[in-house]
Amino acid sequence: MRFRFCGDLDCPDWVLAEISTLAKISSVKLKLICAQVLRDLLGEAIEYEKILKLTSDAKLESGDVKATIAVLSFILSSAAKHNVDSESLSSELQQLGLPKEHASGLCRSYEEKQSSLQDRLKACSLRLSRLGSVCWRVDYILSSSELQDVNEPLVHLTFNVQDRVRGGTAAVPVTLSADKFRVLLSELKQAQALMNTLL
Amino acid sequence: MLLVLSEEQKAHLGFLPRAGGAGKLNIDVDTVQHGVEGLSYLLTESSKLMISEIDFQESIQVLGFSDELNQLLLQLYLDNRKEIRSILSELAPKLPSYHSLEWRLDVQLASRSLRQQIKPAVTLKLHLNQNEDQTAQVLQTDPSTLLHLIQQLEQALGEMKTNHCRRIVRNMK
Repeated sequence: MRFRFCGDLDCPDWVLAEISTLAKISSVKLKLICAQVLRDLLGEAIEYEKILKLTSDAKLESGDVKATIAVLSFILSSAAKHNVDSESLSSELQQLGLPKEHASGLCRSYEEKQSSLQDRLKACSLRLSRLGSVCWRVDYILSSSELQDVNEPLVHLTFNVQDRVRGGTAAVPVTLSADKFRVLLSELKQAQALMNTLL
Repeated sequence: MLLVLSEEQKAHLGFLPRAGGAGKLNIDVDTVQHGVEGLSYLLTESSKLMISEIDFQESIQVLGFSDELNQLLLQLYLDNRKEIRSILSELAPKLPSYHSLEWRLDVQLASRSLRQQIKPAVTLKLHLNQNEDQTAQVLQTDPSTLLHLIQQLEQALGEMKTNHCRRIVRNMK
């Protein structure tokens, strides 16, 4: 059976197995646990003690608590990844055996946070390097050891590049003459115009 | 097979009978350290070679301990053998192993030299684990090479189903 929230593939066996664990928790508590898991997926701190308190009624072992968090994490992030709407997710989860109230509670939490989740996932996507900032300075060369009267402007640029592969920021300094700088600027403006046609 | 202990190791283990019972050991630090080293050598070598009970008993016979101590050592060996073997198995040199894979699909639309292009590319970041070190390799490929790569990997997985591999796997079990 193919599920949209699994990317049109079969549902993984372990997810299927943990659906029955989710059914053991009351639907109200499940919605609160979802809120915690969503916090973790959005990059905020997860409050594990709250989850432990919420699952204590269902008398879950510590392994089951972790499995619950893992399966909710998977369902919510995978649904966001494949841009599944909340009704489809609810019906697919019910097909897997999750009771109706549990599924609708889970999907309500999902719906509230779907776009923030997708924004977060977009931000976490693979990037190799990123331009942090650019600093510039314009100098005027009066004279040099080679020529007495130079009288030319010079542009200093420093690109602060974040290296996503190895981490850390590197500063790349460049100096350009006025002509070279004009060429660079016009090429970049052409690239910007192309980007604007796509937005 | 029998475990052969050198004279030095026999001397180190010689402190064991004296150390029997709870309470303070009236022996100097060096002797205790040698004793511990001797004992751990005895246990790791026996576990490594998977020596049978009888062979173990015969090997420690040369130390001339009391029967009670021999029985104690044998029990210690049998109880901890499995765990020692699992720890020893992790000490073998390892190649970097797969941790996770991040990927991205891009399309190049234009460059400084050429506009109106359509050039898809897949960028991969392969996360590897090697002895608790995490490294990452960045790779880039076009879709046809990626398909070829997938085909080759599926062929490799398919090898496990051939008669030749099945026979070997059966014999190993």
